[in-house]
Amino acid sequence: MLSIQNLKASIEDGTQILKGINLEVRPGEVHAIMGPNGSGKSTLSKVIAGHPAYKVDGGSVELDGKNLLEMEISERANSGLFISTQYPTEIPGVNNVEFLKMALNSKRAYLGLPEINDADFHKLCEEKMELLEMDARYRERGVNEGYSGGEKKRNEILQMAILDPKVSFLDETDSGLDIDALRIVANGINHIMNPEKAVILVTHYQRLLDYIKPTYVHVLRHGKIILSGGPELALKLEEQGYDWIEEK
Amino acid sequence: MDALSRIQQLGMPKRNNELWTFFPVAKIPQQEFLEVRDAPRTATFDASSETDFAALLPLAKNARTMVRNIADGESEMALIKCNDDFGHTIFNIGKNAKVSLEILDNKVLHEIAAERFDLNLAEGAQVEVFFANPANDLPLRFRHFNIQQAAGSSLRFSSIERGNGITRVSIDDFLKAPGATFEIRTLNLLDGTSSSHHRLTIHHEAPETTSTQFARNLLSGHAYASYDGSVIVGENCSKVNSSQLVNTILLSEDSSVSVKPVLKIYHDDVECTHGNTCGELDADQMFYLVSRGIPEKLAKKMLTSAFASELFQALPDSPAQKRLLQVLHEVI
Ligand SMILES: Nc1ncnc2c1ncn2[C@@H]1O[C@H](COP(=O)(O)OP(=O)(O)O)[C@@H](O)[C@H]1O
Ligand SMILES: [Mg+2]
Repeated sequence: MLSIQNLKASIEDGTQILKGINLEVRPGEVHAIMGPNGSGKSTLSKVIAGHPAYKVDGGSVELDGKNLLEMEISERANSGLFISTQYPTEIPGVNNVEFLKMALNSKRAYLGLPEINDADFHKLCEEKMELLEMDARYRERGVNEGYSGGEKKRNEILQMAILDPKVSFLDETDSGLDIDALRIVANGINHIMNPEKAVILVTHYQRLLDYIKPTYVHVLRHGKIILSGGPELALKLEEQGYDWIEEK
Repeated sequence: MDALSRIQQLGMPKRNNELWTFFPVAKIPQQEFLEVRDAPRTATFDASSETDFAALLPLAKNARTMVRNIADGESEMALIKCNDDFGHTIFNIGKNAKVSLEILDNKVLHEIAAERFDLNLAEGAQVEVFFANPANDLPLRFRHFNIQQAAGSSLRFSSIERGNGITRVSIDDFLKAPGATFEIRTLNLLDGTSSSHHRLTIHHEAPETTSTQFARNLLSGHAYASYDGSVIVGENCSKVNSSQLVNTILLSEDSSVSVKPVLKIYHDDVECTHGNTCGELDADQMFYLVSRGIPEKLAKKMLTSAFASELFQALPDSPAQKRLLQVLHEVI
């Protein structure tokens, strides 16, 4: 469903960060992307999302056969892509629930559906917040306003649960979570996941993969995927680091 | 000395006059227009200590003076609407009275309108003054406030400027006894070639007085906003607290803003701060919203509306807050 082919992208000064990424994600799959800091994992997520800081030099990204790279940022999301960035932005003054509703209704409008009514939205929101064990504070405050790192990550999964994307790319969603929060977030992701959907997880730690079993594990280094394998690869990386891998 | 003589003594506003630094003074009619006056109906007024042309203009044009006295301890909500080009309103507000004043727009069709308000607050009076004028085509509008505050009185001033013409609000506030507080929250929502100018002088004439100034600007087109806020803290005025913060978002290339904070402090034990930020909409926030599927135009609206409403969300639950947030809801 998500097909990335030979994707190359650079930053404003011309430095190429992604140097030909290939990744094929099918329904029902969980892909873990690991790799040392600075290898381009976050850049990959932002390029797919359409972040203006990056220029695509070549390659393609398709979601269900549609070229994402030609779409507006909002259109990509409304087509079923969900990208959670490593450091979710704070937006004081924009109420978190209003924002969720606005996002959901934007998607519905894009799909030609009417706006969700208040009662249904309220029910949906309550249900997902309960799933993620989130209290009323998330409702009252601005988007990520004054949230701790862990609270921001939980709020990301809340958005994912409400927007119900086909493909989610979660960048270090497990970083900064304590053991309980990790379990809650992982359960949330598992709950949303189904055979029609796919998740890409960027992580440094096996502990997330204990909860969410990956179909494939990839190593990204210097802007390329240099090794792919099954769940056992993550265990090996945790033990031995990245230096044993030979780059082609 | 009457107002007209005082104007003649001061001369018409000039760019090099520090009260008019940012104002397009060429738009003010020539002095001859002052000669055309209605029959005298202004209360006798000694204008010899006034320095601002806008404080004098309505009086010089013989505006009708309206006086309202609000008794001690009264609660009152009032609407003020000036039906002439020039207006003069005096409010004498009694001890511990609670007053909410909304100024409605003067819908005159002439070139220029000017209103002067004298607000005299007795001990413990709590007053809010607010306006959120609908966009109109009045080319030039002056609103001057002379505010005298006794001990423990509080004045909250809040407004939204969104006209098509040129507006100037001038405020001379005198905090004359301990415990007096002044606060202004003003928002300029401007587009086209409109401009809005604020000129404030806060006189802390007693210890333990407080003034707070918040101004926010959302500017599109060729709009221009200026904020000129002076704070004067007199001798022997310890424990004065004063702050000023101006935040601007420029939504277009050709919009602009000028800010001039002036502090004249003649005492050590005071806390005065001022800040000024100016920028575009936050790119990270924009990206976050659109990456969640919200179309760019709507995302912009959400951010500008958040920026604007934050200013008034901090107000206590009051008729002013209700009105200003309602207007924002309608226009953004
Ligand atoms: N917007 C940017 N401006 C400058 N350098 C960037 C930018 N985005 C990424 N980089 C650089 O690209 C490399 C990859 O970064 P990133 O994708 O964040 O790595 P990872 O997420 O794998 O740790 C780093 O060297 C980083 O400094
Ligand atoms: Mg990263």
